[in-house]
Amino acid sequence: MVEKNREIQELLVDYAGALRDGCIPTFLKSLTRDEAEMITTCREFQDSVEIVRVLNSVGFADNAVAPNVGLFISRVDAEISSRLKKARASSRGSYTTEAGPAHKTGKNAEKSI
Amino acid sequence: MQDKSGNRHAMNKRLRNALKGLTAPDAERRRRAMEPFVRATFGSFIRCLYRYLGNEVECEDVLEDVYADIWENPQRLRDVTSENELLRTVYLYYMRKRLRQVYRRINRNLNLSQKGMMNLVAPELSALEMVSQMECHQVLRLMLSKLKARERRAIELWMEGMSNRSIANELKTTVGAVKMLEYRTILKLKKMLSEYYDKD
Repeated sequence: MVEKNREIQELLVDYAGALRDGCIPTFLKSLTRDEAEMITTCREFQDSVEIVRVLNSVGFADNAVAPNVGLFISRVDAEISSRLKKARASSRGSYTTEAGPAHKTGKNAEKSI
Repeated sequence: MQDKSGNRHAMNKRLRNALKGLTAPDAERRRRAMEPFVRATFGSFIRCLYRYLGNEVECEDVLEDVYADIWENPQRLRDVTSENELLRTVYLYYMRKRLRQVYRRINRNLNLSQKGMMNLVAPELSALEMVSQMECHQVLRLMLSKLKARERRAIELWMEGMSNRSIANELKTTVGAVKMLEYRTILKLKKMLSEYYDKD
């Protein structure tokens, strides 16, 4: 069970642990409104967070480098093609919507005549 | 790395060429340039993201979007001349936006303040945060050697991945005392690092 009304040092150590273990969402979920307020206003906390990040990157960031960059490149390429498709589809869509009202106006104009 | 003009962390030829292709107006050419660009930058970019997220899977997901954003809108990288500048620009104009989205997604069901807490996940850049990984290792080793034995041990055990309870057992003290010790040591490290960079 998560302890409530933690002191600032406990919050920092819990944040550091969450960052190290890759579970920042759990840490954020554990915060009460008062604790969140304390974090945002405490200068010492903000300063310490920088060091925690540096410690985290020095200690563990090398684990994050995936051995298979080729696989990651294909993911990026797939994302790019999906964006290309979306862009083409939306440009086609905007062409039809642009044409749509003009067509309607034409009809209306015809009726009024 | 240093070039003829003495620019630290100057770009290698491969990365320079990839960047040239990436900033071309033709989308297909940009797409072709993406592979060498990813190969040249993946390591440094993912390490940078790991500082804020601490989770490999999340880092890869965010980085995928970052690269696609760069492909879509590469103008910011046009005048970049060094690797440090590249990392800084990519963080400020591409990564930070995506990190904010991660925070917004986490915060969707929480009622935490948007602005203050967002700084925890996607902060402004300080000089310390832009120090390269290798330099970080060296400086941190130096700073750790200046700490008292008990303080250094607590940080080293934490960096080995031990829980606070295990650290407390190792140091023969309570969990509360370990948390206080870690907090004080981190503040001390911050002060030492600030003095080190101010002196520089």
